[in-house]
Amino acid sequence: MKYVCSVCGYIFDEVKEGKPFSGLPEVWACPWCGAAKAAFVPEKAAAEKQEPAAPVYLDEDMEQLSPGVLSALCSNLARGCEKQYKDEESALFLQLADFFASAVPAVPDAGTEKLAELIECDLKSGYPLLRSEAAAEGDRGTLRICTWGEKVTNILNSLMLRYRAEGDAFLQNTQIWVCTVCGFIYVGSNPPELCPVCKVPAWKFEKVEGRTSA
Amino acid sequence: MKQRAVRNLRLCTKDCLCLYVCPVGAADTENSIIDTEKCTGCGMCAQACPSGAISMVPEEYPPQQPKAEKVTAAAFALAESKARQETMARQIAENADSDGLYRLMTAMAKSIRLVNEDILRESGYMLPQSGNAHALLRRMAEEPPSAQFPSEAAKRLLKLIPCNEKEG
Repeated sequence: MKYVCSVCGYIFDEVKEGKPFSGLPEVWACPWCGAAKAAFVPEKAAAEKQEPAAPVYLDEDMEQLSPGVLSALCSNLARGCEKQYKDEESALFLQLADFFASAVPAVPDAGTEKLAELIECDLKSGYPLLRSEAAAEGDRGTLRICTWGEKVTNILNSLMLRYRAEGDAFLQNTQIWVCTVCGFIYVGSNPPELCPVCKVPAWKFEKVEGRTSA
Repeated sequence: MKQRAVRNLRLCTKDCLCLYVCPVGAADTENSIIDTEKCTGCGMCAQACPSGAISMVPEEYPPQQPKAEKVTAAAFALAESKARQETMARQIAENADSDGLYRLMTAMAKSIRLVNEDILRESGYMLPQSGNAHALLRRMAEEPPSAQFPSEAAKRLLKLIPCNEKEG
């Protein structure tokens, strides 16, 4: 039996390794990207994941967009301007993004448990639904962001599981890196040579500074 | 199609061939950014550049790909979930007692924002020139969501960026 890392595609082959996957300790992590054991799926199940989810239709009226979404929408357009080398326009969109970010109301029940729940919910229903709608429409752009986004969400899920099992012992004396292109998070003293999700080089990773050095 | 030269400083190896071939002196700026006022879009610099740091971008962008409503409805629902997670991660970071949790939640907030930007880009907001982006800016400028909203920024963007399709 083979187990595939749902983040970077690393394959744990029980025959080659000479030991069962189930026998690995719970703290075992992917040797390539550091994803948790739980991020691994049996090779067959990886194909089954493609099943379309039952569609749910939602109101998409602009009035319904929250300040948090509007902030991300504007910072996305700032990025769009940056790619076109339009610096002034990019700065203006960032100004709008900052305004909406400051208008986001606090979440009353914020905590690692609640956050982990939302992340899991994206993996269980948010992405499968978006993927099936995009597949039905032949929308390749959306399918691509589903692939990247789902992998990144998987690593977030892994990190939440690890944090909740071990506390922050695994974050001591090491660094946390974020890929500035796809959002992949890597824990280690140096960033990976290539991003396991989007394949950009190490210099595209940003080190997350602690409070004291910030 | 009218185009202009842009330079990626990360790739530039300072061979400076652009200085020699530019017929109008648009590449000789102090800050290394090609002078858009002078550039005629002839493309000589991009062809001569040995490091591939100069590329030609169009003045007018083609309309973005249309999006189906069912896809954008599912995408906006996911975007709301991401926005909530980003807010939570920031809040947990602010209140964190340990350095590890602070850094982890700061990393997550950044990561979630990047993922959400991708989702929204593919939901009909790829180009700032798009009808959707213009309709949104116009609405913000005409009906500011609050008294503190920087309406001038929205108005200035409407002026600076031409719309390349019918407003959505």
